[in-house]
Amino acid sequence: MKTKTLLIRYDEIGLKGRNRRHFENQLVSNIRYALRDIKNIKIDKIHGRILGRVDLTDAEKCTTRLTQIPGIASISIGNSMEPDFDKMAELGVSLIHEKLKAQGELKFCVRTRRSNKGFPFTSREVDFEVGSRIMGVLSSKGLSVDINRAEFVLEVEIGPQETVVFDNRVSGLSGLPVGSSGQVLSLLSGGIDSPVSTFKLINRGCRVHSIFFDNRTFLGRGGYDKVVRLAQILNRFQGGGKLYVVPFQDIQVAIRDHCTDSNRVVLYRRMMYRIAHVLAELKNYQGLVTGESVGQVASQTLKNLMAVSCVVPMSVLRPLIGMNKQEIISHAKQIGTYSISIEPQPDCCSVFMPDHPGTGCKIKYLEADERRYPWEELMSSALDSMETINLDDLD
Amino acid sequence: MIYLDNAATTAISPKVMDVLKESMDSDFANPGTIYSIGLDAKKKVERAKQDIVRALNLPHTHKIVFTSGGTEANNLFIKGFCFSDKKVAFLGLEHSSILEPLAYLGSLGNNPLSLLEYQTEGRLDLLQAAALSKSQSRLLCLSHVNNELGTVNDPVSVFEALHINSPDTRLFMDGVQAVSSMKISSKVWPGLAAYSLSGHKIHGPKGIGLLIYDSRLSIIPIIHGGRQQDGVRSGTLPVPLIRAMARAIVLAVERIDEMQDHFNFLSNRLVQGLCELNDQLPELDIRFNSLVTDDLQKQSPSIVNFSFAPVEGEVLLHHLEAKSIFVGLGSACSASLKKPSKILTGIGLSEEEARCSLRVSFSGSNTIEDVDLFLKEFSIAYQGLYPTFREKYSRN
Repeated sequence: MKTKTLLIRYDEIGLKGRNRRHFENQLVSNIRYALRDIKNIKIDKIHGRILGRVDLTDAEKCTTRLTQIPGIASISIGNSMEPDFDKMAELGVSLIHEKLKAQGELKFCVRTRRSNKGFPFTSREVDFEVGSRIMGVLSSKGLSVDINRAEFVLEVEIGPQETVVFDNRVSGLSGLPVGSSGQVLSLLSGGIDSPVSTFKLINRGCRVHSIFFDNRTFLGRGGYDKVVRLAQILNRFQGGGKLYVVPFQDIQVAIRDHCTDSNRVVLYRRMMYRIAHVLAELKNYQGLVTGESVGQVASQTLKNLMAVSCVVPMSVLRPLIGMNKQEIISHAKQIGTYSISIEPQPDCCSVFMPDHPGTGCKIKYLEADERRYPWEELMSSALDSMETINLDDLD
Repeated sequence: MIYLDNAATTAISPKVMDVLKESMDSDFANPGTIYSIGLDAKKKVERAKQDIVRALNLPHTHKIVFTSGGTEANNLFIKGFCFSDKKVAFLGLEHSSILEPLAYLGSLGNNPLSLLEYQTEGRLDLLQAAALSKSQSRLLCLSHVNNELGTVNDPVSVFEALHINSPDTRLFMDGVQAVSSMKISSKVWPGLAAYSLSGHKIHGPKGIGLLIYDSRLSIIPIIHGGRQQDGVRSGTLPVPLIRAMARAIVLAVERIDEMQDHFNFLSNRLVQGLCELNDQLPELDIRFNSLVTDDLQKQSPSIVNFSFAPVEGEVLLHHLEAKSIFVGLGSACSASLKKPSKILTGIGLSEEEARCSLRVSFSGSNTIEDVDLFLKEFSIAYQGLYPTFREKYSRN
């Protein structure tokens, strides 16, 4: 069976100091997990890079999956061959030609690493020999050499055992490998923002579990189904995630019936934070993640953000806090959650919405409202009825 | 499970399923090909077409075009006949598959004329047909049976009124909700320029419908391709779906008297039960949006639409769902989807009243016990929800 070599590069991990090995090992173990069903695969960590060897037919599939793993900067597929300049150039021409045809013009260069010091040419000489042969064929079709701004880098590795020529790099997600930064709990709704904030933390190396507050008695099961689909998509970037579904209707009814109209939304959110905090403590998660961004809606003014986060003695991570809606939408499109998020599905029954939501709720009035209904009791019964979904089981 | 949303879709009938399965197995050949198995498939399509012609008493002047469903049939006729300058009128209470193509024509500069001011009881007031003459409308689009209310525009009466007051106006009717509950006699066709049908509303399969149109009219196609169906609607004919729909139409027509009696029986029980609840519960205030009448020229007995402010229909629907009772809804209560049903506001309901509505629609398999259980669970759910909604409305 013919095999291909996968060259997997990381960037940020490379900047780490003495704990670099910890990050590298985590990344290798994540790669092995993501490719666990691929037969005859071999993954090795060599000199600040990760090399994989897979059957020819699996190479594309593996590359696609690797682009979904946080911590990887780029991936290249390589072909083993004899250390013969004509053959290397021939392969280079075939790889470059397709891209050149599509673009009309292309800047390229050859970069060689030579660990086989017995090879009779220096790296620079190999660059020149292979590059000039390729130029001989393709310069008339719009190919030019640019070492600093190359759009196509043909990488050549001349090792003691074999010579590998790599196709152009495919970009990865960068960031940190999941598992290297601990576990957090994200407040996930069916909207556009919270899936993006969840992804942001996954990409910073956290394993992110999600919590969804469900009111299906009033809104039906549509919202639940939508959040499960979103959580499933997000979990493909990490694996091992859980989705906790907490029934919220009794709390919403109580707040609606007993509390000040304009405080309602902030009171709902205080309860969501409290429940998430109890769960996070129980499971040893180290922070809460939300999709809030300053001023986006009435409950996300600076005053209301404070009024909400002050109920939990825990880090509240808000990766979208300074982002504009358009930026968030463009992230959501990139990670593939946008089209699901915009499916029409009610997130709150109008009977629970205040006519005029307050933009600057005062904590003493919120606390006075909370003395009017048995929130502790309702919170513990909501947690008792919580459903836990292992997202890996759904795939 | 008690399924009372048969205006949304119906369960496929076992007899239709038999045809579908058999045809899926055996009729794989393309009916557009010229070898024997293709010709056999074509013959089966022609036979299905003949069955439909006979069941609906279609005259030779009218042709059948198969489409992907009612929505496509409505789009095909409205766009195909009216592009781009023929003036169109409509009542304003039609299904969105009529309203949206009309809005599209409007966006191209051919603004349709709404007759909403002439609606009475969810139907076109025939005394007002002269307005059409003044507007020089070439086509009037109406639902035969309204999808949310079940109210009826009788094709023969509408055509007679047009004939006297606006003879140049042709009539197009959306018959998607009609075939299961209305008799289609040969008298309707001379007055109809076109009529649309859908398979899945009459216990047939989804993904198939048809347009019946007067072949003397010229229709510009909206789907171009291999020029199947005389070029009016290109695309390989789905033989199994066509045969199954033909069977569903034949069965619906055969059972129409029996079904009308059955639907009358069920809807009378429902209306009576709701009136009794209305008398028993001081907090309940039922308003019927459908007509409470046995007159089949005015109201289909298969649909009952009613309001019950202040409790919102969507919430009640989910409470009934929890008891495995499934009913229909024209309007959403969600905070993000703010606009309630155009049909309900079109007949004069306020937005709040429109949100507090449900639609119950029957099929032959519903029983009187289904209606009684619905009434019981509706009453329980309403009483449970009333306190939550009372304050919202008293505040407003």
